[in-house]
Amino acid sequence: MQTITYLILVPMVYLAYLIFVLGIISRMVKIWRAPVQPTTLQIFPEKKPKWLWALHDSFLLPTVRKHNPVLWFFLMIFHIALLLLIIGHLELFKGFTFFQFWEHEIFLGKGFVGLTMIIALLYLLFRRFASPTRQISIPEDYYLLILIFLTVLFGSQMDWARRWYGYAELSPSDYQTYLTSLLFFRPELPSAVYQTGHSFMLVLHVFFANLFIMFFPFSKIMHSFFSIPMNRLRRG
Amino acid sequence: MDTQTREDLLKLFQSKLNQAMRLYLETCSRCGTCTEACHVYASTGQVKHIAAYRHEIVRRIYKKYFKGQGKLASALGEPKELTELALEELYEAAYSCTGCRRCMVYCPHGIDTQMLMSIAKLLLVGANEEPEILSMLADSSIEKGKSLDLFKEGFLTAIKNLESQVVEKWQVEAGQNPIPMDQEGADLLYVALAGAHSIIPAAAIFNAAGENWTLSFFEAVNFGAFVGDPSRTKLILDRIINEAVRLKVKEVCICECGTAFRVMKQLSGKQPFKVSSITEVHARYLREGRIRLDKEKFKDPVTYHDPCQIARNAGVIDEPRYILQNLTHDFREMTDDVRYNWCCGGGGGLVALGEDTLDFRMKSAKVKVDQVQKTGAKILATACENCHTQLSNLNDHYQMGMNVQFLSSMIAEALVQ
Repeated sequence: MQTITYLILVPMVYLAYLIFVLGIISRMVKIWRAPVQPTTLQIFPEKKPKWLWALHDSFLLPTVRKHNPVLWFFLMIFHIALLLLIIGHLELFKGFTFFQFWEHEIFLGKGFVGLTMIIALLYLLFRRFASPTRQISIPEDYYLLILIFLTVLFGSQMDWARRWYGYAELSPSDYQTYLTSLLFFRPELPSAVYQTGHSFMLVLHVFFANLFIMFFPFSKIMHSFFSIPMNRLRRG
Repeated sequence: MDTQTREDLLKLFQSKLNQAMRLYLETCSRCGTCTEACHVYASTGQVKHIAAYRHEIVRRIYKKYFKGQGKLASALGEPKELTELALEELYEAAYSCTGCRRCMVYCPHGIDTQMLMSIAKLLLVGANEEPEILSMLADSSIEKGKSLDLFKEGFLTAIKNLESQVVEKWQVEAGQNPIPMDQEGADLLYVALAGAHSIIPAAAIFNAAGENWTLSFFEAVNFGAFVGDPSRTKLILDRIINEAVRLKVKEVCICECGTAFRVMKQLSGKQPFKVSSITEVHARYLREGRIRLDKEKFKDPVTYHDPCQIARNAGVIDEPRYILQNLTHDFREMTDDVRYNWCCGGGGGLVALGEDTLDFRMKSAKVKVDQVQKTGAKILATACENCHTQLSNLNDHYQMGMNVQFLSSMIAEALVQ
């Protein structure tokens, strides 16, 4: 069991990031090397400055808000929660204190950010069970939502245990030791990380996160990189 | 389908894979925001007409042959082999899409369905399974470009016969040619359609404005674009460009034809002349006081249908409204935002396919009928031949009791001497 735990928490993480970085670079290079579209693909009327409106379109999803406000609400809370969770994970690297200009406990939101994301994910998943979204969905759409759901569920469990049930054996400082050691290629697993009652949550969280990160470059999640250039094409 | 055919078709597919196309193929998150965008889906409720569904028909073939996913993890995206049946599916997707790009406005990423359907259309051309009529029309346009001398005399005589009708609308000075042709050094080259209705009113207005103009030998419409063949699109376009360069004109004015204008204005690259739609030119004459209109001529309420390729896709939006304000006391907008105007249902070559597509065109444009009727207008003006034909068909089919008009014809009617 300890071997499996180790494999998931150390080599698989490195493998996942290797695939993630190389995958993203190769996808981008492939597109970048294709010939440029010679003519405009703009939609009118135009608004200036175009680049600013393209950013507006990419980050605030105004068209979704107009045509499907419920979906927009869940997409927005999903993406905002995601951003806050990314900040939380960055702060698990010792010395990353940029966001501490506003002093807070690591993982903003007292456990509610994860909960929000889970609710949003369930909505995004369940809407795909209904027509007509069902007919335009493909297996990838379900796999991704389920994978993110599992990752967030186990990740949040650790947060909730500590925040809501006073479970103190596994704390952010343990995660910090573990994650920072990975960053400097001197992997170190504090005993709290893999020998306490809740370490299975961490292991499962990291396992599903690894799968997601490996899948990322080859999936529609690449919209996180491609949406802005595409919105620029539309704005002209 | 034999291996060689498939390989040839995949080469055609590859030729379409530029940066924008790859982004469009890679990025759809199938969020479904586009669901209500397509007039065909909005009118019929058939899922196959949702933009994302159309995309996926092309995308599945892309995944199969151009992505590792198709080979390594086919369970993820259900890649599809390119077969005869797949071509049939591509045909249905491409020729039920009018290329109006309304769904592009809805999409949070801005995916251009018309671009993706252009892959389907090109594959059909490669497999000789495109609509025969469109291909023949494209070929005859190209043939005309090659052998101008053969038909020149006949064309000049035909034009001569229209002169009296032009003069009826606007009296020209003695000795002045009401329809000048082949005039080197003219300021403006007018590219019309094959049809008196596209030439007579336009000529009267040019003469009224005192324009130094000349009529093109070629018709504006580009059947190469309808059938989705880039090389034939270019050949048809080049006839006009070469003529404009030969006559050294400053401006090329495209008649009321959405496709012709979009192709010339936006898809032809940089040219040594200015490209205008006839609606822009008319608005300019009005602003400069070169023509005056009788506002009492049309007493019924007027609404205006924005042709997708001229308004949403090429930006001619304020000009028709300026003209209508000078033409009527009762102009009624169809939509608060031009980007969301419903397509008439006749674009993408569907009108050119005539009776073959009539039933589909009528069923798929129900939302357009509702949109027009909500205005309570009696006159339905537009500035595109395709839209005009389709709207007239809708008018008959749904017994709307409207008077469908070309904007330019209305201007010619209301000219004040």
